[in-house]
Amino acid sequence: MPLSRPPTSSTEGPEPNPRELDVRPLLKAGQEPFEVIMAAVDALAPGQSLRLVASFRPVPLFSVMARRGYAAADHALGDGDWEVLFSPHAEVRTDEALAVGSSPAAAAWADPIEALDLRELDPPEPMIRILEALEDLQPGDVLFALLAREPVFLFPELTTRAHEWAGNFEAQGGTYRLLVRRGGSPRE
Amino acid sequence: MPLAAHSHWTMTFFAVALTLLAGAEGLMVAGIGYPATDLAAPESLVVVHLVVIGWLSLAMSGALLQFVPVLVSRPLAFAPLALPVLVTIVVGLAALVAGFSVLAGWTDWTLDLMPVAGLLITAGFTVLALMLAGTMGGAGLVQPFGRFVAVGLASLMAALASGTAFAAIFAGRADWLAAASLLPEGTRFHALLGLGGWLGLTAFGVGYRLFAMFLLSPDPPRRRMAAVLACGAIALLAAGAGLAALGAGLDPGDLVEAAAVGALALAALLHGRDVVMLYRVRHRKGLEINMRASIGAVAALGIGAALLPPAVLFGASERVVAALVFLLVFGWLSGLTLAQLVKIVSFMTWLEAYGGQIGRRRVPQVGALVAMPRTAIWLALHFAGVVAGTLALAIGAAGSFRLAILACLAGTAGLAVELVRVRRLCDVEPSLRPPVDARTRILLPPRPPRRTDDAPITTTHQLDRRP
Repeated sequence: MPLSRPPTSSTEGPEPNPRELDVRPLLKAGQEPFEVIMAAVDALAPGQSLRLVASFRPVPLFSVMARRGYAAADHALGDGDWEVLFSPHAEVRTDEALAVGSSPAAAAWADPIEALDLRELDPPEPMIRILEALEDLQPGDVLFALLAREPVFLFPELTTRAHEWAGNFEAQGGTYRLLVRRGGSPRE
Repeated sequence: MPLAAHSHWTMTFFAVALTLLAGAEGLMVAGIGYPATDLAAPESLVVVHLVVIGWLSLAMSGALLQFVPVLVSRPLAFAPLALPVLVTIVVGLAALVAGFSVLAGWTDWTLDLMPVAGLLITAGFTVLALMLAGTMGGAGLVQPFGRFVAVGLASLMAALASGTAFAAIFAGRADWLAAASLLPEGTRFHALLGLGGWLGLTAFGVGYRLFAMFLLSPDPPRRRMAAVLACGAIALLAAGAGLAALGAGLDPGDLVEAAAVGALALAALLHGRDVVMLYRVRHRKGLEINMRASIGAVAALGIGAALLPPAVLFGASERVVAALVFLLVFGWLSGLTLAQLVKIVSFMTWLEAYGGQIGRRRVPQVGALVAMPRTAIWLALHFAGVVAGTLALAIGAAGSFRLAILACLAGTAGLAVELVRVRRLCDVEPSLRPPVDARTRILLPPRPPRRTDDAPITTTHQLDRRP
């Protein structure tokens, strides 16, 4: 893992038991579970997790939940069913770890499937390469890039395109490390 | 909330600023103001304030409105106020020029225009300062850039307060202040706060960011930037103390001014040394036009900062001091601003026109928006005019000075035309120009942001990604 994970500190005090939500009956009945899931999330106590069971792997839900401050851990139950534990991640101290604007959910992202070394390129070439590479990825895929500078003008464009990112300078300060998680829908 | 990539009115700030620079240069070419009249004469003050408020401060404000949100990754605070700020400052500046025209005997309008101008200009820049401070918040002060801007804005407030006081005295509306001999003794401190504090220190802070960004250099060690900021802050405290002493009816003496000038010059020289280092350790091999032209600006800063303190301290003639101040204002501040405008305008236009298409369609390179070598010729003309103008002022050749400024005016006008062409994508290969209805507008804000093709997930159908 090239980018150091943001430091997370365990929440103090005992954590409430996870809330269970099985949306398989809803899906079987042909109903929309999204509102039910969101209502369940709204009803969570501070620090409480949500254990969701569904008849598919709800990948797009991961980024929705990440934006609300929940990390996802999933495993297959067999027969195409999946169980996902959405747990609130402790507040990331962005001032010492990640650049302002970084996604607090980065610690829970999958490992990058593509790595780019863009340190030798003149701006805005690194920005172009990253945006081009993202177009070929699937939602949820993560890209890693090394840059010579903090790509301040890339960040608004990533936000506009519904991608999430997290970045920081390595300890020596010479290289900027960036993780970008492809958001939204795949391009046709 | 998506972060706005563009400050909506930055291009308008730049356009108004360039127009006012051309206006001030036109007056100088016509022989109005110093050296034809005294430095403190109303005619000279018209030109000085058009350059310092109309050109440099508005260009700096437009750049800060653009860069502060990007550098702290936060949306601009009170963004809808950007246009009212610009209008208020421009109306205030017009009233100020009108007020000076009464003092110069050009018109017989009322002198009460002066305090009104002071209040309008102060109101405009105060709101601007609140927008920038509100955007940065505590986070901005973590970065050296934010600290330079904060000290610059504090100096701006002090310069505005003293300027407004002068305006009230000119109008005969502040006899109690006039008795404190704020005028003319206070003007040197007012100038130090406005030029050195607001424009100078803010330019140092912006310079550190832009030079490192455009040269692909690592930032200088924080310790060195902190030393520059500390010297600058000491200078501005001294200038502020000088003003306060005058207000209290005390004589601050020449030592306070010498301390302020000396500390500012030291800050400038330390900053100049850092900039030279940024050029030396850069990763980028070829220098773009903005960074080539900036070498001239940094050279002007070095020469001006090295020679001005001894000139002031050893009582050099007014001609020499005026020449050195001209070199700093036109060579360094104006030269730097003109050079970086080329880059900022072309890059922002490129982002605006093509940002949403990157990765999806072929887009031109940023450099393709700028017409070379024409742009380089206009910048060279500006710097040639500065060198000739500095020498003409130093030897008191008023006629040659007007010719020199004519070269600067030609450079300004040429660059303005090039920037309009950049905004209109005139020099981009036709096949890469967006359709007419999607083109960038020269002055107006970008059109409403394009919609992403990623709508929020609301249905099971969208949630289900099983192959």
